Amino acid sequence: MGLEASSSPSSLKPYAADDTCPMGTGGATKPEARFAILTRFHAGYFRISLALSGQALLWRTLSDSSTDPRPLARSLPSAAFLLLWSLALLALLALCALYAARCLLRFPAVRAEFRHHVAMNYLFAPWISWLLLLQSTPFLRPDAPLYHLLWWAFSLPILVLDVKIYGQWFTRGRKFLSMVANPASHITIIGNLVTARAAAKMGWHEAAVAIFSVGAAHYLVLFVTLYQRFLGSDSLPAMLRPVFFLFFAAPSMASLAWDAISSSFDTGCKMLFFLSLFLFASLVSRPTLFKRAMRRFSVAWWAYSFPLTVLALAAAEYAREVREAAANVLMLALAVLSVAVTLALMVFTALRTGDLLPHDDPFDCPLLAPPLVR
Amino acid sequence: MEEASASKHGAVPPLLAEVEVSNLPGFDVTPSPSPRPQPNPKRPSRPGVPPLDRLPRRSEVVLPPLDSPFQPPGFRSVQPHSISLPASPSAFGVPIPVAGAGAGDSQDLQRQATSNVAREPHRSPAQDKGGNGVGFEQPDKVKFRSQPIPGGQPARAGNRVGRGGGRAMNRDKSYDSFKTFSGKLERQLTHLAGASEAPEEEDSDDAIRAHRTTSMPKVDRFFAALEGPELDKLKSSENLVLPSDKTWPFLLRFPVSAFGICLGVSSQAILWNTIATSAQTTFLHVSTKVNLVLWCVSVALMCAITAVYALKVVFYLEAVRREYYHPIRVNFFFAPWIACLFLAIGVPPSVATELPSWLWYALMAPVLILELKIYGQWMSGGQRRLSKVANPSNHLSVVGNFVGALLGASMGLKEGPVFFFSVGLAHYSVLFVTLYQRLPTNETLPKELHPVFFLFVAAPSVASMAWAKITGEFGYGSRVAYFIAMFLYASLAVRINFFRGFRFSLAWWAYTFPMTGAAIASIRYSTEVGNSFTKALCVALSVIAVLTVAALFGTTLVHAFVLRNLFPNDISIAITERKMTPILELHESGCGDDDHSSRSSNDVEAQQK
Repeated sequence: MGLEASSSPSSLKPYAADDTCPMGTGGATKPEARFAILTRFHAGYFRISLALSGQALLWRTLSDSSTDPRPLARSLPSAAFLLLWSLALLALLALCALYAARCLLRFPAVRAEFRHHVAMNYLFAPWISWLLLLQSTPFLRPDAPLYHLLWWAFSLPILVLDVKIYGQWFTRGRKFLSMVANPASHITIIGNLVTARAAAKMGWHEAAVAIFSVGAAHYLVLFVTLYQRFLGSDSLPAMLRPVFFLFFAAPSMASLAWDAISSSFDTGCKMLFFLSLFLFASLVSRPTLFKRAMRRFSVAWWAYSFPLTVLALAAAEYAREVREAAANVLMLALAVLSVAVTLALMVFTALRTGDLLPHDDPFDCPLLAPPLVR
Repeated sequence: MEEASASKHGAVPPLLAEVEVSNLPGFDVTPSPSPRPQPNPKRPSRPGVPPLDRLPRRSEVVLPPLDSPFQPPGFRSVQPHSISLPASPSAFGVPIPVAGAGAGDSQDLQRQATSNVAREPHRSPAQDKGGNGVGFEQPDKVKFRSQPIPGGQPARAGNRVGRGGGRAMNRDKSYDSFKTFSGKLERQLTHLAGASEAPEEEDSDDAIRAHRTTSMPKVDRFFAALEGPELDKLKSSENLVLPSDKTWPFLLRFPVSAFGICLGVSSQAILWNTIATSAQTTFLHVSTKVNLVLWCVSVALMCAITAVYALKVVFYLEAVRREYYHPIRVNFFFAPWIACLFLAIGVPPSVATELPSWLWYALMAPVLILELKIYGQWMSGGQRRLSKVANPSNHLSVVGNFVGALLGASMGLKEGPVFFFSVGLAHYSVLFVTLYQRLPTNETLPKELHPVFFLFVAAPSVASMAWAKITGEFGYGSRVAYFIAMFLYASLAVRINFFRGFRFSLAWWAYTFPMTGAAIASIRYSTEVGNSFTKALCVALSVIAVLTVAALFGTTLVHAFVLRNLFPNDISIAITERKMTPILELHESGCGDDDHSSRSSNDVEAQQK
């Protein structure tokens, strides 16, 4: 996450900075240089898994749409898809393991993350990635019992987090929405919508509508709050500007979820899709917004991929509904863009792994160890 | 000039004492230092003081009325004349700190400016209007601008050569800062048109222009300097960069809100068309000719206003840019396109029955581009974020989406109208919530009711009609939107008492189209749900809309021909970029005219290198 890269962590100190971390817990000083880096993986690193899982779903959808007139999409080799899916699975497993280690060894830091207005949203990210992988898995069918079980396993944490975080939005003083709202909050909404879509695909209609409505209601509130920009641009550090792409990820995901619920890409879905297209155009036509974040590679760059993938997915569904040449062109363009961006990110990661790895932990408790500022 | 210089060396040469007042070119240019006129009892003359100290000196300078002839030299501050301040700091014996400041130092530049000021038609021009660049080449000298001498040549520090006798010589340069490329375009046009111009003038202009950088007042400045629901009244502590006692050129006075007239009239055309063709109102026996006449009138008006504004864009680009940066006026940039959309919607059947699809795309493309810009500003925060600038005029930027959707759907397009409808709906909900909240950070919401509030009614009523056209029936969605519009209308109508005491402005025409829109939506609703109540409602609303427009038309005529102030000086675009510190002595000296023009920051920059 760009949280740490070159800005001092002070601007990102969690709101509850006054909470005291336990003094010198043995566990914190144990992981020396070797383990230290492993446990510095904060939740923002799950962007990578989000991106890869989203890509897997996109490839699956493109190759699945049998009514897709374009032969190119159908010829995506399934071997490549399997490779991608396995890569996504491995990445997710690795990140989950690292984060589990972090929970064990640096629990205060995890708690601090949970309190931070940007990082808390990324706690949804692993579950979203699991759900996306589940939806794109070639090994299970949606009506298999294991599928249902896995769905429950991945949705429960999301629902629990929902109750906690959304409840805070309007009840807990320091965590009022107007104070904590930032573009990363869209991830909470996306979590709901992905869950709803998965439920709809499994055939559980009522559950899908229920979860969708929770997501939609909070999306409305969040959308208005973010547009008002009560706090100005203070809510997000400049390095995290790629997270702005989430603005159009949420309506795209909503359109996909409603498409799954209503089994057809009706006017509501279209409206959501058009809204996300508009927001995409609006962001892309403001490159200066991202200039500062683009100076240096960081894990924040991975935030570009998932929204583009979701938009491409929505475009694919739209093109399937509206059999027009222009829609197909749009879908193809967006899909190509999404794949290209993800590939580029993978290349960057391979080339500049050093930049990607965490050099310090912005959520480190100050009493535990001095914050490592680069 | 030289004589003046020569006589000025020495300790504290009187400011105006030996200034050669004449029409010689370059007279005001490089004077030698004459800091202060001796007679100034208030301050010891100190040559080369930092500009701020010179501020008080302005009081001594009495500005001549514009048409006063030049005074012979030797007079003191009794008779104003040239206010040329010495350009060369070295002559003061003390290097002026700012001299080397260069173009970027606007702060100092301003201070310099204030000290130099004093001029009547003030010369902020071109050379730097608002700009920080200085371009003059008198190295390490501070250049001061001297005022244009009335009836004489605009003195310009530098190479003022006697200009040719054409009218160019007498061109008033005070508005150059607002002209396109600072007046260069105009000069070239007049040059092409045959007036003789001295070439040197172009050179110095070019030099200056080359370094000129435009700077616009930030949005905070607009809020700080202006007040009123349309942000068109200047606060008493503020000043303008243009002379407020003169009538500015017509183009400068022509605001973009004039397009509101087109909005008002074209929506009336649609209303009369609807009345004439709707089943519920046939009992009124309105003929379709009314629609035809109104439509032709609105087309004519549209062409006329577009032509005038196009001229303004060509000749006064800076002024147009300032209007664009004004937080309220920017919304009126949507008005021409919305008016065109109305014209297309209300086209009488006798003129055209089918409109080509490319017309819709052509009309919506500018709307889309403007929207991307303006909604993006809302979203990305910064100065122009919504919580700060939200005001009822923002409805104009949202309504365009719904009008476009309505037109597209009536032309038979499918996806495009839904696109704009969804974008409009999303942003309308944001705007609606924000305006209802009346956030404390919001500075533009008027405390009192003003006709601009009627814009609240516009979006839901047009949205209901658009949705009805898109879905082909007046279903629940349309009804919900329609009822919201009716509620807002009623809620404003019962407070009609509070709409008092406002100065008429052309923008009021833009506020009539919501009433017309509500009337049209009511007629549409009454065709669905036809009972006597809805019939009465639609007739009542139509009557109100027509009467309002008629009254407004009458008021406009009165202002145009009787009071002759239909186009007052457009002060909202002429605010200074920075608030200048008030100069107390000014008032004491009794020079009433100084304050407004002098203090603008903009002329300063021109002078510094």
